[in-house]
Amino acid sequence: MATEDERYRQSSQFRLWSFSPTSLRELRIKTNDLAKQQIAPRFAADAQPEFLTPGEESTLVQFFTTELIRAAQFCELPTEIRSTAAVFFRRFYITNSVMTYPPTELLKTSLFFGCKAEGYYIRLAKLAEMFPNTTSEQILAGEFLLCQGIRFAFDVRHPFRALEGAILELRKRLPEEEGRVAKAHAMARDILKFSPLLTDAYFHYTPSQIMMASLLMVDQGLVEILIPAGSQTGEDGNKHMGSNAEMREKIMRTIESCRSMLEKEPPQRMKEYWETPELVKSLKPLRKKLQKCRDTDRADLVALQRARREQATTKVKKPTTTGTGTVQSDGAVFGEAMAVDARDTKRRKLEGGGDLFGPPL
Amino acid sequence: MALSPVVTTTSSSAQNQNADNFQTLRAVSSPLKALTSGSGQTSSNGTPKPALAPAPPTGQTLAPTLDLAEQMNEEEKRKYVKGKKLGEGTYAVVFLGHLRSSPATRVAIKKIKVQKEYTEGMAPDAVRELKHLQELQHPNIISLLSVFSSKDQNLNLVLEYLPLGDLEMLIRDTDNVRYGAADIKAWMGMLTRAVWFCHENFVLHRDIKPNNLLIAADGEVKLADFGLARSFADPHRHMTSNVITRWYRPPELLFGARHYSGAVDVWSVGTVFAELILRAPYMPGNNELDQIKMICESIGTPTEDNWPGVTRLPEYTVPGQHPTRGRDWYEMRFGIVGTDGVDLLMKTLSLNPQKRITAREMLQHRWWHSEPKPTRKDDLPRKDESAGEDKMGMDLKRRPGMVADEDRGAKVARKLDFGQR
Repeated sequence: MATEDERYRQSSQFRLWSFSPTSLRELRIKTNDLAKQQIAPRFAADAQPEFLTPGEESTLVQFFTTELIRAAQFCELPTEIRSTAAVFFRRFYITNSVMTYPPTELLKTSLFFGCKAEGYYIRLAKLAEMFPNTTSEQILAGEFLLCQGIRFAFDVRHPFRALEGAILELRKRLPEEEGRVAKAHAMARDILKFSPLLTDAYFHYTPSQIMMASLLMVDQGLVEILIPAGSQTGEDGNKHMGSNAEMREKIMRTIESCRSMLEKEPPQRMKEYWETPELVKSLKPLRKKLQKCRDTDRADLVALQRARREQATTKVKKPTTTGTGTVQSDGAVFGEAMAVDARDTKRRKLEGGGDLFGPPL
Repeated sequence: MALSPVVTTTSSSAQNQNADNFQTLRAVSSPLKALTSGSGQTSSNGTPKPALAPAPPTGQTLAPTLDLAEQMNEEEKRKYVKGKKLGEGTYAVVFLGHLRSSPATRVAIKKIKVQKEYTEGMAPDAVRELKHLQELQHPNIISLLSVFSSKDQNLNLVLEYLPLGDLEMLIRDTDNVRYGAADIKAWMGMLTRAVWFCHENFVLHRDIKPNNLLIAADGEVKLADFGLARSFADPHRHMTSNVITRWYRPPELLFGARHYSGAVDVWSVGTVFAELILRAPYMPGNNELDQIKMICESIGTPTEDNWPGVTRLPEYTVPGQHPTRGRDWYEMRFGIVGTDGVDLLMKTLSLNPQKRITAREMLQHRWWHSEPKPTRKDDLPRKDESAGEDKMGMDLKRRPGMVADEDRGAKVARKLDFGQR
């Protein structure tokens, strides 16, 4: 096996953020379920709102991704950073529901953190200035939440450099057809700036597969040159030829399926999200629905963040009260699911001086 | 074990959990849960309840649900048991810990503190360290086993346990630690492989020095502290030249270069090589100007002749003209590693970064094959054999290296130009 493949499999993008379509769907259903369960008790039993379905959530995330791209363009952020921010945003909403945390806020946080993760240190205040009614505090409030949501995987592998590499290779192989290659280059780059970010391409395909799929969309012949048919590569004996042909077929199938995914959201669609009345109209009821069913307790990230900080600091100061202590450990005896309260007990006991973590090893 | 039975109960059920089994997590919620969370307590996910929370309909308990993201976080957290504090600095607190499923497997849990003076959220060092350690898995690079957030919104990095201190401790302890050419070769081999792997993955470490080279129980050296690391920049992007601790900083950075390459790390490797031989820092400059002066004296003055274009670097200044040192001069000081070793050293300390040997070329150098063969890692000198009683405390305080920086704070150039875009 090619060592490059092995190396990609070590990346956090592959280890933590690549899924089969089925498992991705399951994750989204689970996230949606959990959010509903959590929000439902906040409404009276006879006045339950209509919740978003996992599919509707995805549609909304898609829409807000276009908003994020527009915002990034407005802030003149480089392509890589814009894409990283979009991937962070989409990853976040796989394990968090749009009903729980407001996408309009997380969008700005993703932009800010995307810059940071790419080592592009834009001043927080400067970024806040670019958006109406936005304070630095608001952008920052969601930062830790976002980091946890993306499972602390800050390195995103994009297909842009892969495209540059492929274009260099094509220029070498087709010195006579500079115009054709240049045209494909520009068009493929346009696709990569939009289509993979609006679809689930990053979750199912590798950067090079996504790059090849974009080339396939603009000039199929170029892909044939980069991935030549088996007959041309069989120099080292016929034995490998069978498996080579098989591998090539598998690669082509994968690229084809990635292509059909990308084609659902071609770059021209960006404008449609804003200008096509039908599309705009179809999104409106979803946004309305979201307004009615969202988690009002967690909509205000600034207040939420402040409360969490406070909670963390007061916990340290709070003297041990035996009363709550026993109630909590009782709760834990009954098999507390998340051990969160057990942890509280633990912490309290620790403050009391007991060595809860056991003797030194 | 003073571990409370309560915790053990939950944890043993937790071990059976696997990634796609979140539903069971929820299903075993305690019947008393409603009681606790209803009594003015916060809900399990840390969401503060509004002061005027509508009372939940009777007969229906507030489900102690966690978002999927929170569940995943809890799951990571529960794999480890945190033990006693090993050390504390301004940047992080380091705890000993072990795997819940196998208490013999020790880990170091590095809890990154919220930086009060940095008002732009998560500190860039933490972001850099996490970003790169997540991607780099190699025997000579400290491994990041897990990351989770604790309830007070602190980052916790679970790192492999490296109990034998760092290379600097060995170099400095001239009274108790003896080592020779074969040992130096073994250590240099491990360091070079680590740097090669970083560069192969397009990462610049930018802070290579002896106390960032930690030693595992089996003697393997591991490169740690990626707080200054970054990915290779695209040609049009600027980088800061204010990186790498001064004594180990190459001339192009001292001259303010904004475009540089893996050669900056190779220079640091060269200075570490020299330090291993001399058992003292090779060029311990007191400030940047002094550092340039030491480089000119020890290696030679960078000029247009030996480094075309150097005079156009933004901060090019040299104190005077010193000839470039010849092989004989190096042989006299560093001869203990043999002719081939000296050759490698000279190539890592080339003034012109374009002529400097690369990490890959270093691994192909003939020194590794010449006599003596490098020491097997189990036979390498180690601190604990001679340090006696104090050893434990010292090792633990220093572990895992990153925290130890602050003792040497005065000498360390860690100020970063975060303002630049």
